[in-house]
Amino acid sequence: MKVLLVEDNERVAQFVIKGLHEAGHTADHAGNGRDGMFLAASSPYDVIIMDRMLPGEIDGLSIIEVLRKAGTRTPILILSALSAVDERIRGLRSGGDDYLTKPFAFGELLARLDALRRRAQGIDREGPLTVGDLHLDPLTRKVVRGDRAIALQPREFKLLEYLMRHAGQVVTRTMLLENVWDYHFDPQTNVVDVHISKLRQKIDAERERPLLRTVRNAGYMVTAGDVQ
Amino acid sequence: MMRSSAASLALGYVVLGMTALVMFAAPLWYAWHVTIQEGRAEILQADAQRLADVFRRDGADGLKSFIDARVRMQIAGERILLLTDSAFHPLAGNLAAWPRNVPDSPGSYTLDVEIEHHVSHATLVHVALPGGYNLLVGRDLGMFAPLETRFWYGLTTAVAVLLIAGTLGGLLTRRALMSRIHSIRQTISAIIHGDLKHRLPTHQRGDELDTLTRTINGMLDQIELLVHGVSNVSNSIAHDLRTPLAELRSRLEELALIRPQPQETFAEIDAAVADVDRVIRIFDALLRLAEIDAGMRRSGFVMVDVAALAAAAVEFYTPAAELRHIDIGFESEGPLHVSGDPVLLAQALGNLIDNALKYAPEHGTIDVGVRAAADGAARITVVDNGPGIADDEKSKVVERFYRGDASRGTPGVGLGLSLVQAVAKLHGSTLLLSDRHPGLCASLALPADAQPPPASPSGTGARPVDLPAAAAAST
Repeated sequence: MKVLLVEDNERVAQFVIKGLHEAGHTADHAGNGRDGMFLAASSPYDVIIMDRMLPGEIDGLSIIEVLRKAGTRTPILILSALSAVDERIRGLRSGGDDYLTKPFAFGELLARLDALRRRAQGIDREGPLTVGDLHLDPLTRKVVRGDRAIALQPREFKLLEYLMRHAGQVVTRTMLLENVWDYHFDPQTNVVDVHISKLRQKIDAERERPLLRTVRNAGYMVTAGDVQ
Repeated sequence: MMRSSAASLALGYVVLGMTALVMFAAPLWYAWHVTIQEGRAEILQADAQRLADVFRRDGADGLKSFIDARVRMQIAGERILLLTDSAFHPLAGNLAAWPRNVPDSPGSYTLDVEIEHHVSHATLVHVALPGGYNLLVGRDLGMFAPLETRFWYGLTTAVAVLLIAGTLGGLLTRRALMSRIHSIRQTISAIIHGDLKHRLPTHQRGDELDTLTRTINGMLDQIELLVHGVSNVSNSIAHDLRTPLAELRSRLEELALIRPQPQETFAEIDAAVADVDRVIRIFDALLRLAEIDAGMRRSGFVMVDVAALAAAAVEFYTPAAELRHIDIGFESEGPLHVSGDPVLLAQALGNLIDNALKYAPEHGTIDVGVRAAADGAARITVVDNGPGIADDEKSKVVERFYRGDASRGTPGVGLGLSLVQAVAKLHGSTLLLSDRHPGLCASLALPADAQPPPASPSGTGARPVDLPAAAAAST
């Protein structure tokens, strides 16, 4: 994945770029709005990470607006210290696709970038989902593991569907809260973990290869492969 | 006196009153002087004509005796009658001589004439009769003079009364207003200098100024509450933020000093990250509270089905409750729509249930209910069978960072109920806590049409784009 990072804080930029490299992605960095605009307009990226408050005349939201008017459809994640709900709304209205507030966990950023790219590539299509021997059909709402039919409650189904749509990617608790429960706040307790462990009991029966993994300090992942 | 609204108002009314007086007097004056006088001249003309007819029929002597008879019958001075020869020597009538300033030529005149040693205003008609005789018929207007004088007196008195009453009234009004404004100003300057306890003096009159004063007092209540809240919060922040920060600091310092084995180092770093996360959580909760308090979220008001929202929240917390064998019951009377912010209402519901979960004992029960109140409000109740809250602590638990004795040792930053209270307030409601012996009943009644005031600074009718209409929509 090729990422453009527009961020004026050197430390944050170094931290993000290093993390992206370690995750196997390439990243360009622009330290101000002018360079950011130039890079975003001149070369193709899979995802753009945009800080809002930038030195120079152009701020992040203006860049996004210009890019969107020029027809650029690259997914943009806004990374900002402005956390008020109205600020988020403004960011998303201006053409951003996702909004992450500073300070942030790198795992959260990476998971959201993956989700954005996936959405842009049109992978999120309707149709049966398969991970290993686990099958989920959004239309008939049937879930089968091998030849074992699994009965799920509506919310459990939605949770599994979201995880399977992002199979092989880390999905954070915040992402689950926002997308499965539509909760845009921090419930301050480990309720999501409880839901996951309940789902896991149904999906990964004894002696079966576990598909629903917990990724330490980040979130969860549904995968048939190996995770380190 | 200048630049006083009371004075200019009084002056305006005085001018208005005078204008009204003038508009009343002017037509009267015109009617008196023009219309009536003209009519009088005409009557005199007709009278003169009749006398001339007598002259033609009966000759000079006939007219003389006619006039004498008339003069005898007349009330003195009412009518002037004079017959003279061609040299203006009086022959008959009630005048001793031809008045000096009456012209020789015939016609009608209104002028001051000397009649019997006094000057009188009179209307006179001079008719020349054949044979050089002159006839003068007139009417002394002097008898109307007192009437006119009284009219003028009346008018002048009215103007004077108006002026004095207006000025006096203006001055008194101004003084009364100034004294009230002065006391308001004094109170406000005391408030500006930091003493928020002061309130503007109100009267039982309920007039405009009183209404304004009451509104300002309401505003001051709100400001005091906020300021009080801020100072409380800063004290609590000092404590609640310092604890994890101090832990973090000592952890890092220790790492730098001891330089332990990599495995141990990583564990310490993880713990440090957890400390930072705790600080961030507190920050986020505080920022959100501040956002709600400032009323910024009112732009997100839409119609929300509270019952569906509560059902979703109950469902969300059920697995966590099952872990502790707590039974969550839910009861609602079908869809219940109120105007509100779906995100905040969901969070408030979540916090109430979360709070109940913290205090309900193992194998305990929690009951969540959404019912329609008589006035169309939606009443949300969350009841647990935990230890409850002592009466003197009930008002404190909604304060920021306050944590009851029962809550020591449970996770949380002590902002849960204050957030519920802030959300309730934003929706024109308040969080009520009552005893259930044992347990606590937390309830809030959401008015069906809590219209967000248009005063919202960001209120451009913005609806959250990233926050679709509540969890309710997706169930």
